[in-house]
Amino acid sequence: MVSLDAAELTTRQINTLLKKLAEDGEVIEVENPRARHNMAVGILRPCDIHIRGSVGYYSASLLDGPSITIDGNSGWALGENLMSGKIVLTGDAGASVAASMRGGEVFVGRNAGARAGISMKGGTLVVGGDSGFLTGFMMQKGRIIVMGDTGEAVGDSMYEGVIYVGGAHGSLGSDAKVEEVGEDELIGLWDLIGRNGLDGKPHFTKIVSAKRLYHFDSLERLERSAV
Amino acid sequence: MCGISGIMYKKGSAACLAPIGRDLVGMLDSLAHRGRDSTGVVVAGQDVDADLIIRVWTDAGERAADVFSRAEDAVARAGGVVTSRATWGECLRLAANYEGEVPLLAETLIETEGVELHSIGRASEVVKDVGTATAMDGRHGVSHLRGTHGIGHVRMATESKVDVSHAHPFWAYPFPDVAVVHNGQLTNYHKLKRHYEDLGHHFQTHNDSELIAVYLADKLAAGDSLEEAACGSLDDLDGTFTYLVSTQAGMGYAKDRWSAKPLVAVETDNIVALASEEVALHSVFSEEVDRVEPQQSEVMTWSV
Repeated sequence: MVSLDAAELTTRQINTLLKKLAEDGEVIEVENPRARHNMAVGILRPCDIHIRGSVGYYSASLLDGPSITIDGNSGWALGENLMSGKIVLTGDAGASVAASMRGGEVFVGRNAGARAGISMKGGTLVVGGDSGFLTGFMMQKGRIIVMGDTGEAVGDSMYEGVIYVGGAHGSLGSDAKVEEVGEDELIGLWDLIGRNGLDGKPHFTKIVSAKRLYHFDSLERLERSAV
Repeated sequence: MCGISGIMYKKGSAACLAPIGRDLVGMLDSLAHRGRDSTGVVVAGQDVDADLIIRVWTDAGERAADVFSRAEDAVARAGGVVTSRATWGECLRLAANYEGEVPLLAETLIETEGVELHSIGRASEVVKDVGTATAMDGRHGVSHLRGTHGIGHVRMATESKVDVSHAHPFWAYPFPDVAVVHNGQLTNYHKLKRHYEDLGHHFQTHNDSELIAVYLADKLAAGDSLEEAACGSLDDLDGTFTYLVSTQAGMGYAKDRWSAKPLVAVETDNIVALASEEVALHSVFSEEVDRVEPQQSEVMTWSV
């Protein structure tokens, strides 16, 4: 175990050290993050990092492989563009958590702000509490599981992917619809939330794209050949 | 971008007035990455040995002393008695006893050559300048100001020019003690500005954020509570905004229906602290804080 004191280092020094220590296979701990931005970004291999305190914007972003635990809250866009690995946040996440994530898992212990999972392209986002306005906005793939309630306009303009809501969901966003949840699907979800240490077996509401805004028949010739 | 912050010490929690200026400078300094064009604060709930605090600024440079003399004459002409006077470069702070109508005093001052009026307050004053919070504090000694609450702003200009006049906070001329800091852009600014000008309101700048201050003060003058006025703004203001408002009675925030601009809030038994980012809260609290992130169309107010 190697411990870094963030109070003694610049953000660039912290990220450079984290990458180096990850290469060396060390288990790493970061103390005193004090809600600073860009903590633990751009690490492209599996490693274990434990951040003891809140982090700021874009923290644990641009990652491929790491397992990162954060004891505290995050600012906007935690876990942006995650390719693989797992991010566990014990507290509240700011807006746009897991923005454009493509794989891996982001777990938020308490509430997530507005636009959780915006433009997700894969992977799984689990929110232990409530999520805010425009959850799953323009989502393209992957799944969002919210244990509590969501804000208004859930699933607005989503293309693909699934949003599961354990509590009450706000108004459906443009072109979002509710679909029946299959029994096997539900058992799979319970298993997944159980593995994240969450109790209960909520009967999730499943929200998907109604695809009424799909206009693939009016594609350009080159686009048609790509579909 | 822009960064905003606010702080209030709840009544009875401190034997003496709180270090509002110091706290705001600390919070704004930690938000410097959100804007370095200008910085400003309003420190409210001050212990003032006079009826009013008047803050004047001038761009007259070397002839600032002449402008300040004219400003003092204007206060006397309106029937006020200046009890203390301090200057920092192009800024003048007067404490005055005055029993007349504040709008009359305000009008007399802005009609005085070279005078730009930043605030008139019964217990508050606006201090603003170009540059960072640290620079402003160095020039104006903001950290020495004590009170019950206050709000502040660091600016990354998008909507109007960068100078002292267009720095936040914006005082709601001519309503004493009402001032606003704003992160965002109003898209119905010109329409609403014309509306309020038709009603006789006088705008001092070309900045959209000044409109919010005038809007709220107009509602307060009509008998609305601060909360009612702020709730009304969610429908009447178009665009993106998270703003903080400070009055003699308290402070509050409002966040637009798109949840487009950030805010985190923490309330303990003794303190309410608001900021664009959690990093600013850490300059007030030494421990990890249990903050919330207000959602869209949310309003909250506190009274001292």
